[in-house]
Amino acid sequence: MDFLQIVSASKHYQTPEGPPVKALDGVTIDVKNNEFLTLLGPSGCGKTTLLKCIAGFEDLDSGDLILGGKSLRDVPAHRRPFNTVFQNYALFPHMTVIQNVGYGLDVAGVAKAERDRRVGEALELVGLAGFGGRRPSQLSGGQQQRVALARSLVLKPKVLLLDEPLSALDRKMREAMQIELKTLQHAVGITFVFVTHDQEEALAMSDRIAVLSQGRLQQLDTPTGIYDRPANGFVANFVGTSNLFVGTITARNGESVTLETANGRQLRATGNRFQIGDQVRLVLRPEHLKILAPGEGPDRDGSVIQGRIKETVFVGSTIQVHADVGFGRTVILLHPHDNRNAQREIAPGAEVRIGYAAESAHLIAVADD
Amino acid sequence: MRGKRFRPWSALLNGYGLLFLAFLYLPLGLIVVYSFNANPINMAEWTGFTLDWYATIFRGASTEGNFDAAFTESPERIFGVIRNSFLVALCAASVATVIGTATAIALARYRFFGKRFYQALLLLPMLVPDIVLGIALLIFFVGAGIELGLMTIIIGHITFLSSYVFVVVSARLAGMDTTLEQASADLGAGPLTTFRRVTLPQIMPGVVGGFLLAFIISLDDVVITYFIAGVGSQTLPLFILAMMRRGLRPQITALAVLILLFSLTVASIGLILRNRKS
Amino acid sequence: MTRKRNALLLLLAPISLILGIFFLIPLGIVVVYSFLEPGLYGGVEWTWYPYNYGRILGWPLNDYEEFDPIYLAIFATSLKYAFLTVLFSLLICYPAAFWVSRRSARWKGFVLFLITLPFFTSLLIRIYAWLLLLRPTGFINAGLEYLSLISQPLDLLFSGFAVVLGMVYIFTPFMFLPIYANVEKLDYSLIRASQDLGANPAQTFFRIILPLTAPGMIAGSIIVFIPALGNFIVPAFLGGAKVQMTGNLIERSFLQSRDWPFGSALALLIMASVVLVLMVQTIRAGRKQAGDAA
Repeated sequence: MDFLQIVSASKHYQTPEGPPVKALDGVTIDVKNNEFLTLLGPSGCGKTTLLKCIAGFEDLDSGDLILGGKSLRDVPAHRRPFNTVFQNYALFPHMTVIQNVGYGLDVAGVAKAERDRRVGEALELVGLAGFGGRRPSQLSGGQQQRVALARSLVLKPKVLLLDEPLSALDRKMREAMQIELKTLQHAVGITFVFVTHDQEEALAMSDRIAVLSQGRLQQLDTPTGIYDRPANGFVANFVGTSNLFVGTITARNGESVTLETANGRQLRATGNRFQIGDQVRLVLRPEHLKILAPGEGPDRDGSVIQGRIKETVFVGSTIQVHADVGFGRTVILLHPHDNRNAQREIAPGAEVRIGYAAESAHLIAVADD
Repeated sequence: MRGKRFRPWSALLNGYGLLFLAFLYLPLGLIVVYSFNANPINMAEWTGFTLDWYATIFRGASTEGNFDAAFTESPERIFGVIRNSFLVALCAASVATVIGTATAIALARYRFFGKRFYQALLLLPMLVPDIVLGIALLIFFVGAGIELGLMTIIIGHITFLSSYVFVVVSARLAGMDTTLEQASADLGAGPLTTFRRVTLPQIMPGVVGGFLLAFIISLDDVVITYFIAGVGSQTLPLFILAMMRRGLRPQITALAVLILLFSLTVASIGLILRNRKS
Repeated sequence: MTRKRNALLLLLAPISLILGIFFLIPLGIVVVYSFLEPGLYGGVEWTWYPYNYGRILGWPLNDYEEFDPIYLAIFATSLKYAFLTVLFSLLICYPAAFWVSRRSARWKGFVLFLITLPFFTSLLIRIYAWLLLLRPTGFINAGLEYLSLISQPLDLLFSGFAVVLGMVYIFTPFMFLPIYANVEKLDYSLIRASQDLGANPAQTFFRIILPLTAPGMIAGSIIVFIPALGNFIVPAFLGGAKVQMTGNLIERSFLQSRDWPFGSALALLIMASVVLVLMVQTIRAGRKQAGDAA
């Protein structure tokens, strides 16, 4: 059963000069109970606006928010059973950690003994027992983050809203917190709606991801679904790295299709959604491209692209190869690092044959952009 | 670091800085020193140390005093006008603090039609020359049949002090993180609870600072008060103005030093409090 | 939504009432009064009477109330002294702001405190101090005589010099603070960049430092000019009978000759100058903003 429904949510902002900007344009998302849902998109895509509308800090122009069958439109922020972890944490500087975490319980009229017990539990949960007497200014960024989490979780909200909570942390801390947040979400069994612009973070943490751009929902799917089957060019480019080729389908034989680009390049793929003559975009992930040994053919019904290596970038586990494939196009592929023999041929200037398996090529209708 | 590049300039600038401070403080320092001068005729000529002038403020003219009793005001009168001044300053500053703070919150936290009008309107009382506001209030009060007295002074002061409080509190509100209020609402607090437990504690230094500023300005206001004070409602600045018009007497100098001490103390407390908070 | 509306109305009601009733209406009445005929024993006659302005600007009603250029002359004097006050305040505060901005953090706070402090002390007492200093038997003359630099006391008091000096003294914090706020955030790397690009100190000053600190100087000049133009306390004590400013005329019209319409007309002359200054500044600032946006 759907838990929280966001129904055609729209909102625009009036700019001082010029026309109003659409921050949200008919976004519909069904949030499921107990899921970790991520709103992903570049800055200005509307993800934070959507979060604020859910929290009740902003009102929707049109559309609705429905929780358990009831509309939230006329429910002010302080009456909504949602809590937010703010990007800057928004800890009250004039209160101690205990006072911060106990604030929500206090204003709800929870008696002191009960309040102290629950605050203690919450601080225990985030690993900050013993820090209760400190002020926010005496804590590190990571600790402040945990206080903010405890302050929200102590109220046992129906939904926890997290507004880019990890963006202020350094890389190591951020990666540790990603795992911790996911574990925490499983432990407390609360629905998390998490906002981020970092696609790796989204892929690592989420049960489902909603990709937003220019106020519109681009795709709502599981992380693997988003990565393997991007719905359009925007998603393909924003989530992970993609090599895109636009072309027209010239032949189809059952599942197997062939498309021809404007430059006359013939590329094969699989798919049954398209007919001959359709304009499509072919998405090839770098890890699906392979530098073929002399005489080796492409895997399973795939195609071969001729190219010349422009640059190689060593990224640790793999080598990122940028290859010029003619007509001003560059493709990016990942080459395994451990193959010492092959590595010698992987140098700028080398002529290479790049192959892929037809099933790894994903097709998107150009009209979907 | 910065100073190392132009050393001769630095020395010159330092010398100038000290001169600048001397310009600000020497006149005040001289008043203090010469308030102890025994010479009753020419205050610039030092004839000996005395506390007589201070004594006259608290005891009145003593019979064996070496000064003209006609130029000496009685303690009752002096403390009467001081009481008036404090009453006016306390009432006007309190009301102005409430009004100015409410206005600052409205303009900082709400979006509404006419906001720019209010922003401009609130600056006006500080930009209109005192004398214009003074005569305008005089005509208004006389025309409306309101008897001039302490009440008219208080009302007059509230009109321009509200603007000063507004500016001080607005600055504090602008520096305050608005997500704190959102966080409070998010945690279930209603608007009033949020105001009492989050907004007010955060802007308190601004509110206190605004009150102190309003209090000092009210206590020291001459021009506007001059036009709207009634016969029986003299304030300390008007009293000193009247004394100065009758001629320079050592007693004014002593009184001036006491006022100086008082306002320096209040201002120091205010400025120190502000620095500590920020 | 409506509750939010009500809260807003509640917050804005007091200021609207106070400024509406005790600020805007009184200013409106001053405008009306300036076009009414003065009554015989104070008060006004409710008839259209542009001759209050006529007396000042030159279309007298009759021979009895003839045009007296003295009012315009006094207004010109007021303008002159206000400008001189602004000029000298600028000259003394500008280097002082640089001096303070280069103090170490601890001294800076203390020096700023010292400079702000006089603003909070009694205006009358600050004027009183100069009265004591400038009198023929005052400290300055006594000191100069003691040093045998002069034989006759100098005529310092009751002069334009004394009035401008007094106003510069009492308005110093008004000029200093905006300039300082501007100088303090001056990016010193720009000065180094200018030197690095071959500009000499004078070129650096006129082409980099001065334009970057101009906003503070303009703001300070405006908030000094306005109270200086309408001042009557400083000329009353330091100018004596010799130096008259428009403020003194207004005061006398209201409290001595009880010619309120004439006083109102004079007050509006001052207001008009203030409005003119503010309008020029608003237009200038608006144009600059538009230029920055482009």
